[in-house]
Amino acid sequence: MKQFDRANVILGIGFAAAAVVIALVWVPMDSETGLFEKVRRQVTIGDALAPSVAAGFLFLAGLMIVVFEPAERARSLTAGNLRYLSKLLLIVFVSFALMRWFGPVLVAVFTDGSYRLLRDAVPWKYAGFVTGGAFLVTGLIGLVEGRITMRGVVIGLGSAIVFIIIYDLPFDDLLLPPNGDV
Amino acid sequence: MGWIDHVWLGILAVFQGPELFNIVGLSIPVTIVMILAGFLAGIAVGATPGLAGPMAMAISLPILISIFGFNDDALLPVMGFLLGVMTGATVGGAVPAILFNTPGTPDAYMTTLDGYPMTMRGESRKALRIAHFSSASGDTFSDIVLILCAPFLALLVERYLDLPEKTALLILSLAVIASVIDGSPGKGLLSLGLGLLAAYVGTGEDFYPRLSMGTQVLAQGIPIAAVVLGVLIVGEVFRSLEEILNESRDSGTIKTIEQRGDQKLHRSDIRKLIPYIARSAVIGTVVGALPGIGSTLAATMGYGSGRASHIRKGKKPPFGEGAPEGIAATEAANSSVSGANLIPVLSLGIPGNAAAVFLILAADTIGGFNPGPSVFRLTAETVNPELVIAFGIFAMMMIANALNWTIGGIFMRSMGFMSRVPKHILLPIVLLLTLTSIYVQETRMAALWLTIGFGILGYLMRRLGISPLPLVIAFILGAKLEEAARQAFASTGGDAWFLFTSPIAATFMAIAVLVVVISLRKSNGSAQ
Repeated sequence: MKQFDRANVILGIGFAAAAVVIALVWVPMDSETGLFEKVRRQVTIGDALAPSVAAGFLFLAGLMIVVFEPAERARSLTAGNLRYLSKLLLIVFVSFALMRWFGPVLVAVFTDGSYRLLRDAVPWKYAGFVTGGAFLVTGLIGLVEGRITMRGVVIGLGSAIVFIIIYDLPFDDLLLPPNGDV
Repeated sequence: MGWIDHVWLGILAVFQGPELFNIVGLSIPVTIVMILAGFLAGIAVGATPGLAGPMAMAISLPILISIFGFNDDALLPVMGFLLGVMTGATVGGAVPAILFNTPGTPDAYMTTLDGYPMTMRGESRKALRIAHFSSASGDTFSDIVLILCAPFLALLVERYLDLPEKTALLILSLAVIASVIDGSPGKGLLSLGLGLLAAYVGTGEDFYPRLSMGTQVLAQGIPIAAVVLGVLIVGEVFRSLEEILNESRDSGTIKTIEQRGDQKLHRSDIRKLIPYIARSAVIGTVVGALPGIGSTLAATMGYGSGRASHIRKGKKPPFGEGAPEGIAATEAANSSVSGANLIPVLSLGIPGNAAAVFLILAADTIGGFNPGPSVFRLTAETVNPELVIAFGIFAMMMIANALNWTIGGIFMRSMGFMSRVPKHILLPIVLLLTLTSIYVQETRMAALWLTIGFGILGYLMRRLGISPLPLVIAFILGAKLEEAARQAFASTGGDAWFLFTSPIAATFMAIAVLVVVISLRKSNGSAQ
């Protein structure tokens, strides 16, 4: 008798269950038209049909994984994977927060104006990108090396500055983070 | 206007396009310079382990669009650069494989098996010459097949396929992509379903953007760059960083081996290699023309077939111990994929691999060119601008090919130092570069969060053994599939069985089911 692998069963059942929720709850509640619509006595395909078919594929895929996927090919996430992912996301989160808020905070502390008015002025417009970008690169190098080094900091700052030279200096119409949001 | 007129206009569009500069009165068109720049960048990227052609294509696209804008003149220089990268990266991948036993791209793995032993014997330059010659030969062959086949296939599609058949053909392509990638139809279908679902968020025909949960972020739809770059690039960066973290890294010193003996590639050598190159070029071209089957499989098949022939002939040294034929079989196969995988792109509008995804993305962003069968439509009196661009693309591929034959080898052999750039430093820089390039396109932090979200999805999929490529291709084809189905449904008067009433559509659907069933049986068989 065929042995079902636990990892395949969890993955397959998980996606099959998610597909049922998507098809029966999310799609009907979040689409204005149904699977089919009658417009001026003509039947047309509604907005709910395509995502329902996608959910159907997910359901079928879930069942195929449970029933047919060989146990030798089963893969599962380890606690180590999740630990690494959470550290990585923390670095990304802090980096994005710096990118978004460091410039506006700096402007609020050192000037009387608003960041929106200064978002095209040096050095304010680069403050968030340089600090956030450098933090991202330095943090990830540090994550792999197990410590933050001066070399990592220099590489982080250097790469952020190089990207400013590539993207911002030659083009007037390109905006670096976060200048399109503010 | 006939075919010949369009071919000539396509060539002129490349050679008489906007001038970049002139040397002693000779005009140098910008498109030619962009092909050269892309080709050299591609070799450098391919020679750097951890980077790949699609990464360079993804990062350079927004910069190129900023330089050239969204006008008609932008398409050929931008596409020229991307095609150059595509050609160069395949050649460059052999450099670290041969010199340091580290494949620069996954499809160069088989090159390490014979390339590195040749380096250990002191014949690294000869091995690089063999790799370059085989790669350029494979590339030339597949470009010729592309130029001959794509228009013919597109004409067949236009002549014989109506809306229901085109819908069925899209379903068949998606079924093939989901089934054959990584040999797990269940996981392929899962990836495909996720891609379709993402494609339908924030879209639809009704005033209310479906599946947007009432949020402004989702109401705008998920940006294509966030999905493609998130899953393909960011996910790969996350996975690779963890791999490096988990490896107990060695001291990193590279042993120097004295290079001695004959490093030249003689005619007698070429004569011995030709049968292996020819066989692999055909294998690579056939594999490349089928959507969803990548160059890694082509390289494996080319190597396997070459080895079988080598054993039959009883030649020495055997494959895996530094046989020049092993390098030739692998490199000819993986290089011949790159031209052939534009056959489904240009004739059907269906991308078969990651590089083709970025070419479609470029065409989509700039506008003025919609890859698909309508490109090859001839009109009696007027010029079809899309057909001119298609022939311009063919001309650019031949130019990239000519560059490969002339300067490719020299540049490739000078790129050995790129293999020594530490991956754990390079990958965070690539991540920042990717995020920056997405922001300059979308100008909202929400796009970066979505990219990170899809990056995590890409990472998780890789960890669970699910290929992310069907997701990306389904995302790109999702809107097209729905549109085709809506039109087919309307044109058949609301017939719910429109996919099964015409013999051709029904055949496509039957083949789609058959492909999935055969792949399931094969997947179970190979596991037992």
